[in-house]
Amino acid sequence: MVYEEKMLKYIGMRLLHSLFVLFGLSLLIFFISRVMPGDPARVALGPLATEEQVQKLRMEMHLDKPFPVQYYYWLRSVTHGDLGRSLYTKRPVVRDLNEYLPATLELVLCSFIISLIVGQVSGVLAGYFRNSWFDGFSRMVSYIGVATPAFAVAIFFLLIFSHILGFAPTVGRIGIVMRPPPRITGFIIFDSLIAGQFKTAVNAFKHIILPATSLAVAHIAQEGRVTRSSIVDNLQKDYVAAHTVHGIPTHSIIFKYLLKPSLIPTVSIMGMDFAFIIANAFLVELVFMWPGFARYAVTVMLNKDLNAIVAVVLIVGVAFGIVNLIVDIVVSFLDPRIRLQRKGG
Amino acid sequence: MTIPQPLLEIKNLHVRFKVFEGELKVLNGMDLVIGEGEKVGLVGETGCGKTTTIKSVLRVLPIPPAMITAGEIIYRGRDILKMSRREIPSLRRGEMSAIFQDPLTSLNPVFTIGQQLEDIIRHSLRNQGMEKVSRRNIRSRAASLLSETGMPDPERILKSYPVQLSGGMRQRVCISEALRVNVRLLMADEPTTNLDVTIQDQILRRLDELVEKRGTSILLITHSLGVVKHLTHRVYIMYAGNIMETANTRELFLHPLHPYTQGLLKTVPKLTGKGISTGIPGRIPNYLDPPTGCRFHPRCEHAMSVCKEERPPFYSGGDGHKVACYLYRS
Amino acid sequence: MGVSKGWYKFSRNPLSVLGLTVLIIIVLAAVFAPYITPYPEHAGPFTNFRESSLPPGPKHFFGTDTVGRDVFTRVIFGYRFSLLLAVVVISLSVPPGILLGLIAGYTKRRSLEIVIMRVTDIFLAVPPLVLALAITAMLSPNLLNQMMAISLMWWPWYCRLVYSVTTSLRHEYFVHDAELTGAKKAFILIRSILPNCVGPVLTKITLDMGFVITLGASLSFIGLGVQPPKPGLGTMVADGAKRLPAEWWMTVFPALAIVLVILSFNLIGDGLRDMFAVEEI
Repeated sequence: MVYEEKMLKYIGMRLLHSLFVLFGLSLLIFFISRVMPGDPARVALGPLATEEQVQKLRMEMHLDKPFPVQYYYWLRSVTHGDLGRSLYTKRPVVRDLNEYLPATLELVLCSFIISLIVGQVSGVLAGYFRNSWFDGFSRMVSYIGVATPAFAVAIFFLLIFSHILGFAPTVGRIGIVMRPPPRITGFIIFDSLIAGQFKTAVNAFKHIILPATSLAVAHIAQEGRVTRSSIVDNLQKDYVAAHTVHGIPTHSIIFKYLLKPSLIPTVSIMGMDFAFIIANAFLVELVFMWPGFARYAVTVMLNKDLNAIVAVVLIVGVAFGIVNLIVDIVVSFLDPRIRLQRKGG
Repeated sequence: MTIPQPLLEIKNLHVRFKVFEGELKVLNGMDLVIGEGEKVGLVGETGCGKTTTIKSVLRVLPIPPAMITAGEIIYRGRDILKMSRREIPSLRRGEMSAIFQDPLTSLNPVFTIGQQLEDIIRHSLRNQGMEKVSRRNIRSRAASLLSETGMPDPERILKSYPVQLSGGMRQRVCISEALRVNVRLLMADEPTTNLDVTIQDQILRRLDELVEKRGTSILLITHSLGVVKHLTHRVYIMYAGNIMETANTRELFLHPLHPYTQGLLKTVPKLTGKGISTGIPGRIPNYLDPPTGCRFHPRCEHAMSVCKEERPPFYSGGDGHKVACYLYRS
Repeated sequence: MGVSKGWYKFSRNPLSVLGLTVLIIIVLAAVFAPYITPYPEHAGPFTNFRESSLPPGPKHFFGTDTVGRDVFTRVIFGYRFSLLLAVVVISLSVPPGILLGLIAGYTKRRSLEIVIMRVTDIFLAVPPLVLALAITAMLSPNLLNQMMAISLMWWPWYCRLVYSVTTSLRHEYFVHDAELTGAKKAFILIRSILPNCVGPVLTKITLDMGFVITLGASLSFIGLGVQPPKPGLGTMVADGAKRLPAEWWMTVFPALAIVLVILSFNLIGDGLRDMFAVEEI
């Protein structure tokens, strides 16, 4: 069928495009990292190391060779799955990633679910019941949500829910006394459920709820507003009047016939929003001392750990690219007009 | 001719819209009657308030910025404007329906025709008390509705999206939606204006057939006199939010009384006679600050001083023929 | 569009007017900080351990921090950094962004368009915070570097915005007409296309002010921005966070100050968007 062909072609072109962009990105970040003042080898070994040791490390890192050669070495190792050795943790970066990435993924996933439920539902209701008290209230909340930087949100939540109300614990993924579940996916909640350790799962859930919600706040605010305004826009469309006239009940109009077209702008911005989620994760993980990829990233950056920094930036770029691709595909599913009228990517 | 049992009576309807510059006083005391089984035309220029009128009847006016400041809309003895929001849906599902001007925007672009049409049918059936009708049953109903309106290959159409169909096909879909059950009153707002001339005729004829077959009353709204001539029993001529004249269709064409009606008829190009007409000088009024009294007086060559002062009432010009013009004061 | 009609549309949102008022107050306070704050010398290296860690009171509205500095004063001075950052970044990044966007959108040379947009894509491939973090990390952390890093991050957004406006207008009739009458490219760009960009760009600038301030505060929070003893708002939040929950005022007030200024910008941005929106009846 022609439609499938077109989709494949589209995906193919997007992948190519993303690859190119990643390539450029790696070049950019690598260039910057090597051009910066300071001697990474010296920084890694500390002031007490001898000049010999520093020189040896410099040669190991190919720091003495011209830039294109350095890049070539680096590229070659990347294609072999080796992202270099972290100067800070002294372990291969890939191992670090393996350890920390799932924690962040779990966090991001939870916050996504939260933002979907809270954000979309309130956006739809606020849009339909425009100018009602609910609309006004959620507008206020989303204004504040957008205006508050993620670290401030995290701190406020920490203050209110942990310290004052004593709701949720403050640090880490699970309580110290808990025995962690066997590592199947790296998602503690999921793994505990599979392993039948329900108490652990509940405990992990209590630990994740605050950071996930902090992360979700900006998301909810932003997307809820977009959903609301696109519902308001679509409410004026003729087909809503036509549907009403033809007798479709209100709840069906809101949650079926309005939701689908209104989601299109929302999903479109989800891609860009994901960038902010990643960025906010950096801050939230810091506040809650969540042992995730973002906190790792901040640590290596503060310590000028070149290899790790380059790897981190690249991973973020890859994640972002994947999410954008998924978003584009979902949008074209939601809006058949895009599918059917595509003029070749 | 006597008007049969009145189905819908609009009395003195006033509607305004609030905008930045002030208030648009669009409807200025609309009066309209449609009887059971009657085919009534409502003719007027673009912007004279025709769409606002039917939106008021169906209660789909966006309030705010719209405001209904006065008037009644009596349907089968009850004032629609006073009905609670809960009673309205059953009106829509069994009594009235409408076809709008632009079929592309009247259909939801992200759902297939089948999804929309079948859903509508399902709700109408529910309204009539038939809850458990099978999907297949509904689908075949949808298909037969579509073929009734003259569409070839209804199965394929049901699976398509609005954007894949031509204008004429889309309008047929809208007609199917409107006539899914035997409603008593159909309001068609310029149903063929956006279509090719060649298709217009087909669609109108088909619409007429369907309406006759079911005994539905129809309010056919258009700016084209040619359309009402053969398809209606009675006609209302509307200008700037008021009815200027009304009569049986034949009578109106033979003896147009109101200067506006006469002007309209003159603008219809004739193949014989003097050829190109002069049209009606002037333009539709600014609703922010509409003319006082009779809203047509700035463009009327017979305007008198009294026309500026107060809106003329209806004077009788014969059997059922009414005209709102001081020229016929006797 | 007339100024008075524009103002009317803007002022129909009481919130936007409120935002504007608050912002003006903040700007004035920041500009005249040394004159209106009770303890201007606390904004620098100052210690007074006798008065340290005092809760909010009549003498110190926002309390004092761990070394005895008045938090209120430091917050006002902190606004200086944030506003300066926003102004500098926007001034540095918007003009090149617009220029590149116009060129990329209008040029007949596909290769040029592709090159510009691909470079834009590269910068947009990563969230601004991450890249800014990385760059600032590799330089020495201070306000100046922060400004440079963020400006570098920011121009691509404007490039893309202007690009999409330009490409959508490129084929419009009024541009065509101008071309046919032999107008020079630059002329067309400036007279026909640029005015259409004003609305979206202005709105975006207002909202971006908020984003940039957030970004700056986040960088400072992590430790890569304004360095102590300078009173950067993000830095203050980070320092104060260590004293939670007992001495909450050291974190909460700077955080609220950040929220306030960003909120004002956002409200103004909303009003601007309404101002430029086309009204339908």
